[in-house]
Amino acid sequence: MHAIRIVVAGVFLAFAAFAGRPAAAQYDKNHKEQDLIAVLASNAPEADKAIACKHLAVHGSAAALPELAKLLGNERLSSWARIALEAIPDPACAAALRQAAGTQSGRLAVGMINSLATLRDRAAVELLTRRLADGDPQVASAAAVALGAIGDAASAAVLRGALGGGDATVRSAVAEGLVLCAEQALAAGNAADAVTLYDLVRQADLPPQRIREATRGAILARGAAGVPLLLEQLRSEDLGLFNIGLSTARELRAAEVDAAVIAELARTTAERAPLLITVLADRGNAAALPAIAQAAATGSRATRLAAVRGLGKLGDAAGLQALLAAAADSDADLAAAAKAAIGELSGGKIDAEIRTRLPQAQGAALVPLLELVGRRRIDALPEVVAAMSSSDTAVRAAALTALGEIADLDRLSVLLEQVAKPRDDTDRGVATKALRAAAVRMPDRDACADKLAAAIATAPAETKVVLLDVLGEVGGGRSLAAIAAAAGSGDAALQDAGTRLLGGWMTVDAGPVLLDLAKKLPEGKFQSRSFRGYLRIARQFAASDAAGAAMCRQALAIARDIDDKRFVLEALKTIPARESIELAVEAGGTPELREAARAAAAAVLAQAGDKIPGGWDLAAKLGLARARVEIAKATYGAGASQKDVTEVLRKRSGSGQLIVLADPSYNKSFGGDPAPGQRKQLTVKYSIDGKIGEATFNEDAAIQLPTP
Amino acid sequence: MTRSVRSVSRRTVLRSGLSAGAAALAPTIIPSSALGLDGTVPPSERVVVGGIGIGGRGTYDMGCFLQQPDVRFAAVADIKEARRMSVKKAVDQHHGDTRCDMYRDFRELLDRKDIDAVLIATGPNWHFTASVNAARAGKDMYTEKPCTKNIEQSLILRDTIRRTGRVFQAGTQRRNLPHFAFACELARTGRLGKMKRVYAHPGGMAAVTSGWLPAEPEPDREVIDWDTYLGPAAWRPFNSKLLNGFNFEKGGGLVGGGVLEWGTHCADLCQWAVGDCPPPVEYLPPENGELVTRYADGVELVFRGAGWLPLGSCPVRFEGEDGWVEAGDSGKLVLSSPELMAGRTVAEIGGYPATFHVRDFLDCVKTRGLPKCNVDAACNAHIACHAANVALFLQRPVKFDNVKNVFVGDAEANRLRSEAQREPWRT
Repeated sequence: MHAIRIVVAGVFLAFAAFAGRPAAAQYDKNHKEQDLIAVLASNAPEADKAIACKHLAVHGSAAALPELAKLLGNERLSSWARIALEAIPDPACAAALRQAAGTQSGRLAVGMINSLATLRDRAAVELLTRRLADGDPQVASAAAVALGAIGDAASAAVLRGALGGGDATVRSAVAEGLVLCAEQALAAGNAADAVTLYDLVRQADLPPQRIREATRGAILARGAAGVPLLLEQLRSEDLGLFNIGLSTARELRAAEVDAAVIAELARTTAERAPLLITVLADRGNAAALPAIAQAAATGSRATRLAAVRGLGKLGDAAGLQALLAAAADSDADLAAAAKAAIGELSGGKIDAEIRTRLPQAQGAALVPLLELVGRRRIDALPEVVAAMSSSDTAVRAAALTALGEIADLDRLSVLLEQVAKPRDDTDRGVATKALRAAAVRMPDRDACADKLAAAIATAPAETKVVLLDVLGEVGGGRSLAAIAAAAGSGDAALQDAGTRLLGGWMTVDAGPVLLDLAKKLPEGKFQSRSFRGYLRIARQFAASDAAGAAMCRQALAIARDIDDKRFVLEALKTIPARESIELAVEAGGTPELREAARAAAAAVLAQAGDKIPGGWDLAAKLGLARARVEIAKATYGAGASQKDVTEVLRKRSGSGQLIVLADPSYNKSFGGDPAPGQRKQLTVKYSIDGKIGEATFNEDAAIQLPTP
Repeated sequence: MTRSVRSVSRRTVLRSGLSAGAAALAPTIIPSSALGLDGTVPPSERVVVGGIGIGGRGTYDMGCFLQQPDVRFAAVADIKEARRMSVKKAVDQHHGDTRCDMYRDFRELLDRKDIDAVLIATGPNWHFTASVNAARAGKDMYTEKPCTKNIEQSLILRDTIRRTGRVFQAGTQRRNLPHFAFACELARTGRLGKMKRVYAHPGGMAAVTSGWLPAEPEPDREVIDWDTYLGPAAWRPFNSKLLNGFNFEKGGGLVGGGVLEWGTHCADLCQWAVGDCPPPVEYLPPENGELVTRYADGVELVFRGAGWLPLGSCPVRFEGEDGWVEAGDSGKLVLSSPELMAGRTVAEIGGYPATFHVRDFLDCVKTRGLPKCNVDAACNAHIACHAANVALFLQRPVKFDNVKNVFVGDAEANRLRSEAQREPWRT
């Protein structure tokens, strides 16, 4: 018995701590089948027997059968035993399940019958036939579905005989079984048998869903000959059958379906026409294109929308004419759908056709064409430039936007000109947006930056800032240098824009630039922005935590007042490195900074205290001492909706009283919201160096355990 | 220590505002014409929805449903009384009435004839079983991932949805986000050249199992219905620790979570990138943090842990002979060449919003079309993850016949294809 307990403990441990498990081979070696069988034969707790069943599913053989079979009548362990019995590849398992299924009742019988269904145990047909007549509808229903899963001729015959039975639940299950039989007949090449079974079900007194399933099967099993039955559904007053017609029309691949649905378009209702068009588009047969194109021009609004989307989905150039007409329609939804559809069409013919139409179009008709030039990046610069001189504001806007999409580096100057000398403020806005779109797309970023920087030198004052913003979007070393020059210039507007852009820069090379500005700029907004921007780079983009701490050291060295120094210490909290603690200790030598330095060191230690060699020893100079913190219990929630978060908190707690979660949001750190819409609290029972305490924190508050 | 955050080259990170090109990728937003004169949706256009198991993620999903003007959220079923009350409160507040009904047993909700579709956002233990029951009851469904626990369930779910003619959308919403969709399209349409390798980053490969914890006093059934909570999972005593995040041996058998949790998202995108072909046929055990699998045509689907790509959660990378593309939940696209964007602009949008995904589902409820994450797509992606987990568990290569859907000549692996469900629940 003692030996068995050791094995059980080992099994449970392996199960519970699976994340760090060894390879399966080692697992085998440690847990031989005989050991697992011995657990089942012993007086071991149910938990151990359950886990043993689970392992036998992987490692067991028929040798385990006698002990597994004993558990089948146990309400708690029956399904654990079936896990093994379904998995062990030995016919004796099915025999054991048959035997038990013949004697058990209620849920347990249902479970065993379900297992026989999974095993598709043909030897069980006789038993299942008997249980199909069971007074318990759940047992009888399970038997019906199991017979369907077996699906041979004998099963089908039994089910056919039971379809007229009295209990509605069982009758529905019998129908389900028959549909399963029909599927297997069809898969075996016996379409006629399948049709017979499907027709039998769809003509019986059954819940609507069973009828729909049989109807779908009856259509598909008939193949092309099923089209009349399909059309019957598409004309049905019953919405459920109409819907099954729509989905089955997509499944039945016969070409006759397209012709039938196209013909049906002419006689269906206005409400159903869009749905039939969607079916045709999903089927993807180009033969439907003329009918859909016609619907795009002449149908109801809903039909036209469906047709336009359908033309896009078919992706055939032959639909372009209809789409271009819809793209110029006054109906905004329709025009937008048409333009989106054209944008998706592929092939040079589409581009050539659009370009051909450009010189002939004017006003409202020209706008969608220009939009398509941009969307498809059609090389139509002369036509676009010509449109830019239109007296129509909408045409000019469309042309400028298109230019933003097609301009290359050489043509960037055209856009720069429009930004610097626009016709009006509306054009300026559109041109700026277009310039940004073009600039960020340029493959040679530095060359683009040089062009923009050169333009800044000669641009009017109000345009310089606009161009600096575009440089910020472009990024890269040359942009950085140009923006740094602006930030360090004597022009307040440029300084403002430059430091703003540098403050949000996303790469580490902005660090030295910001440090330099923080040193040399006079005290004020721009200097402060540079200083804080430098610390943001240290926090977010330094190559390592040590590098981040080194940057903080430099910042501390140039800090101009006590607030700046506190800001540095605040940044240090997010950099879990030994160097951070060293810097905090140094800063803590200044009395006004001692508390901030202590808080910074505590935060660093809370995140990585045990991973920083000598970290606690260093922090002792700030009065911080390692404590033995033990979390006894932690719950998070509101009222009765409480979640046990003890393990999460234990994992995050170290040797300090501050606990930093993976995410400041409690909901995220604790794996979900236990009480949506309610005010939640975290309650922690803990001890520090043996002294027991309890504390409550409002949702998302910092977790600083008070000294008990 | 070295930081995992790396700066991203701005040259290759292409950004723009929401564009019409992106809008084309997004599902239909209900047109104003579908609204009545007073801006309300006429009953014929309305989709009546019920919620099954609405916790943290479910509340988010439900919010996406409630944002749609043509949705009427009619009922909630949950084994937890507090959740039922909380959902009813939110729904009633949204609709301005008190008509959201509450059920402890989801089968009563499924029996309602007025409900068209259900949102299934239970724990993973119930996703499959609730889905097949919903389909058999004639409901369409939006089911959170992972949708199945093992290979067999994936196949049965697929067959059941086909058989019943229902609309199924897996909660892998990234297929309906423009930047992910664009990345997949580049791969699928040959713009990257012949595909060589697709990378899924499931964020780790640790198995998750629930086990059997010590018994605690079982609450009143109306407060927490433990028996229904266990549902298809093998019996174990009540323990409050299992009430949240209980995985019930997600992944089936002894094969725990493994790559399944986030893998269903990123492997799903990889599957889309390779044209939604059947799942890989060969799976190797992990080596140097990479679990390599191979499709029948030799293209590799590689599962890697966290920290490979600085693009937020759920990053993917698709490599072809002529180029590559990366996308992640940060919303950014990273490309081997800006030229790959030629002719297109794509919205930069984070990976979390599920609104488009819900809209796609509702549109398909009306048209009976296939949503982006339809059951065939979900089945293939889930099988890829389950089979990878089998290789992970056995720590040896396994081969999978994706026609017969069995491991080839491998009785040991085939034992892990399925697992018995607790009575009375069936597959």
